[in-house]
Amino acid sequence: MNPRHLLDVDDVSRDEIRYLLDRAEAFKGAEPARDLLAGVAVLNLFFEASTRTATSFTLAEQRVGADVISFAPGASSLGKGETIEDTAITLRAIGVRAIVVRHPQAGFAKRLSETFDGHVINAGDGAHAHPTQALLDLMTLRSEFGRFAGLKVAIVGDILHSRVARSNIVGMAMLGIDVTLVGPPTLLPDAFAVGGVRIERDFDAVLGGVDAVMMLRIQRERIAGSLLPALDDYTRNYQLNRHRLRALRSDAVILHPGPYNRGVELTDEVLADGRSRYVAQVGNGVFVRMAVLDFLVNGAKVVA
Amino acid sequence: MRVVVRGGHVVDPLLGIDARRDLVIENGFIAGITEHADTNGARIVDAANAIVAPGFIDMHVHLREPGQPHKETIASGAAAAVAGGFTAVACMPNTDPALDSPTIVAEVVRLADVAALARVYPIGAITRARAGSELAPYHRLSDAGCVAFSDDGSTVADARVLRNAARYARDVPGPFISHCEDACLKGHAVMNEGIASARLGLDGSPGLAEDIVVARDLLIAEDTRKDWHIAHVSTGRALDLVRWARSRGTAVTCEVTPHHLFFDDDGFASYRAAYKVNPPLRDDDDRAALVRGVRDGTIDVFATDHAPHGLDEKAQLLDAAPVGFTGLEVALGGYAAAVPDLPLARFVALCSTNPARILGVPGGSLAVGSAADVTIFAERPWTVDARLFHSKGKSTPFDGMILPRRALATIVGGAVVYEHGRVMPREDHEPVTV
Repeated sequence: MNPRHLLDVDDVSRDEIRYLLDRAEAFKGAEPARDLLAGVAVLNLFFEASTRTATSFTLAEQRVGADVISFAPGASSLGKGETIEDTAITLRAIGVRAIVVRHPQAGFAKRLSETFDGHVINAGDGAHAHPTQALLDLMTLRSEFGRFAGLKVAIVGDILHSRVARSNIVGMAMLGIDVTLVGPPTLLPDAFAVGGVRIERDFDAVLGGVDAVMMLRIQRERIAGSLLPALDDYTRNYQLNRHRLRALRSDAVILHPGPYNRGVELTDEVLADGRSRYVAQVGNGVFVRMAVLDFLVNGAKVVA
Repeated sequence: MRVVVRGGHVVDPLLGIDARRDLVIENGFIAGITEHADTNGARIVDAANAIVAPGFIDMHVHLREPGQPHKETIASGAAAAVAGGFTAVACMPNTDPALDSPTIVAEVVRLADVAALARVYPIGAITRARAGSELAPYHRLSDAGCVAFSDDGSTVADARVLRNAARYARDVPGPFISHCEDACLKGHAVMNEGIASARLGLDGSPGLAEDIVVARDLLIAEDTRKDWHIAHVSTGRALDLVRWARSRGTAVTCEVTPHHLFFDDDGFASYRAAYKVNPPLRDDDDRAALVRGVRDGTIDVFATDHAPHGLDEKAQLLDAAPVGFTGLEVALGGYAAAVPDLPLARFVALCSTNPARILGVPGGSLAVGSAADVTIFAERPWTVDARLFHSKGKSTPFDGMILPRRALATIVGGAVVYEHGRVMPREDHEPVTV
């Protein structure tokens, strides 16, 4: 049965992931398919500031021909005291068929989906999940290596606060990718070592053995939260820089979900390096989101 | 007035009775326990296929009055108590204003008398306004009816204040009760820290937040020789600390809730606040350690931490929703579901004998001459429907579940206040509080 919502990557099957990536690749080389969601009202509901994800979704919605409505309420206010459930019913009554939602609290998209009689696409809920980001990362990896099984990927940095890391861990596990998480214990608790995922504190020990390294954004608030000392202590161990680039295999790739902090988790040399794929990632995002919208609203076009 | 509770399985660990007996009540007091009582002219309570025990005492409830009558009142809480099989409850001081003055405590006692259902024992604050700095007037609070002292969820952070409070109050009857959570370690957590919080992307509070305060308070108890009670223990390590303190001769008791015994932290996958409570539901290892602690006798008391809130409040997003949920009307079933083969005598000890002893209140036994507070319950599976609760709090993680045990009838001071699903206030207007 076709899934109604995309709250995290595991709302779709392994075969459906492959189907979505095939569709995204097809969209990449083609003209916009403006008939796919013609007349379908899609609401972008962003409770949290977003530049690239909101823009990417809006463009994807326009390219599949949806009627696009964008709304950015404050993080704390929804509908003047209205509950999530009431808001969901109201929005459906207005005619909204699909909601793309980002919210600072984990679980918001799930709560919305339980009463919204339409489709909910999670564009990020707190530190929980960001499934379209994981799908575009997977698309980038597949176009690079042509396969998933047996790939070795290191995800480096603030895993604890990262919805991108969580969704990638879920998606990569489904596809047989070997995941190693790298970071200090305050940002990467031992509780993440479940389901075959490995934890490594020594970045240099894993660098030479991976096909891809995904660098996560480090926020300065972590210092005030006593999770990190001064940033130079973090960069000593976990920054991807000129020195560590030499240890990375020549056929490996570097991913970053953005926005990145130059001089923190990575340096200018990394962004200039031929192995960086952040531009390809951003580009793939629009096509993945077109595929997700089409799949949820219209179902699969061919047998996956 | 004569009441005969007929044909039940009487269980009283203090008297050593565990057999089919008739229980005779005269003028509000236990008059006899016999194989066949004369029922002539008596009000008969049919206890066939049921268990008859000394009245259950829930020593940890929140009745919200004064201050938040939309969540609960003394009357609605007392009704929930007797409907759940409790003849008495001890209510925490986190009201508005707090139970930190004799005047307010006297008002709670008065409201309980008007309700004329369960006995209600106030627990006084340890510090004024539960603000953690100035000592409350323990002797005068005791005079007004307080049976124990606690700052409840506002753990006294300053060890000097707590030590001085315990020294000053050492000879005041009733234990200090600690809700153990370190506010700094807890932070803004909405659940337990562990594998589940890591997976769900939710902020978790570590078991350490509890254990570190348990350790401190046990040391203060040893240092001050004040009687001490640890509320709602939720970790295996906190139980180890209690065992350690006892091995050093410290007079410490502890309680566990039905929800900490039954649920682990996986329920948060729903992202619903129905599971949000302090201390948080822990992982399955801790849950199993609590069950072992019940079986091996480390845990003295079953207590609900009955914490009613409006359904609209609990329907909010996780970080905004209040902590806690209603417990009185599911408790008996919850305990039985969590620790299914606990001997009945142990069950009754945890629900009645031990809390009566710890609080120094009447009850805890069916000895002839004692006040006739009696709980009659049965192994009778039932489906929880929170909408039917007498409590104003309609939220519980047990909602919709089938539980194996429930109260059938409740007798307070010889008056049948709950039977056949109906709550009936006492008509004689004898004050039911002490």
